[in-house]
Amino acid sequence: MKRDASVWLRLMLVAFVANGLGPFGLRILSASGLSTFQPQYLLYWYLGGAVFGVLALSKRPLRLATREIVLGAAMGLCSLCGQTFTGLALSHGVPGHVAFPLTTGGSLFLVATAGIILFNERVGGYGAAGIALGIAALIMLSV
Amino acid sequence: MSGPDLFPVRYLERGMHSGYFYMLAGLLSFSMLGIFHKVADVTKCRPSAINALIYAWSLLFSILTVTMIQRAPLTAPPSVFWIGIPFGVSASIAILAFQAGIRHGDIATSWLAINLSSGIPTVASILIYGEPLTSRKIIALLLIPVSMGLLWIDKRRADRAAITEPVAAAKETQ
Repeated sequence: MKRDASVWLRLMLVAFVANGLGPFGLRILSASGLSTFQPQYLLYWYLGGAVFGVLALSKRPLRLATREIVLGAAMGLCSLCGQTFTGLALSHGVPGHVAFPLTTGGSLFLVATAGIILFNERVGGYGAAGIALGIAALIMLSV
Repeated sequence: MSGPDLFPVRYLERGMHSGYFYMLAGLLSFSMLGIFHKVADVTKCRPSAINALIYAWSLLFSILTVTMIQRAPLTAPPSVFWIGIPFGVSASIAILAFQAGIRHGDIATSWLAINLSSGIPTVASILIYGEPLTSRKIIALLLIPVSMGLLWIDKRRADRAAITEPVAAAKETQ
């Protein structure tokens, strides 16, 4: 498949806006005084995502490959573990201004490094500057 | 020597150490998630299948967590349901677009693009809940579009190089 920078940008902008809105529900939950129902909220949150995911998939052949099932399970587990472990770190006394920048900035650094080393991706000068500024922005937002 | 006043200090230290262990585990989990997105792309998994399966598995895992570990009921007030569903749909749209997008880009830059979206809840909290807008937040929010712009320039240059490099190599061999 031919790689297209403008398609990449459009899809990343959709992902950027939709992913940014995703966690805002927690803020609304908290402002509504419903924080005690956070586990159930997360369950409904995943339910909404699963319903949309199945609807989007149903337009295509429904036969699932084994690698898709295994990777889907691994990614679902990583998502849940990431959120659970960060929550546990906070409840075990790690301050938010330490936990959030380290998990976000550290994950960006590790994934970028894996992309370059494991998948032979090439990041130019503009890309490296963009990554550095992005990590700085995320750290500033989370401290 | 151990006195009654030392126990809470020792307990706090132990708690703090396990806290940093959990933080490291969280960091590795999020990083593995990003790497698996790339593995799914390399192994030609369909973005719609990956998206549906991530949420289906996560739903199953969270049901197990709520019922077996937290031993909490699955039901909640209707407002919790009506807040959770649309924001879950929004996050699912994000994963679908992201997984489709990395076919056209690298994980090194795409992972940053999706993580930069944490600026959106910050802006929404400022606009809707009147949270204070500090100078640090202003600088961070200004850096986000600059960073995205730089990533896009890098992507465009890489695509152009991918087209021109084989042509130049072919000319040299002639």
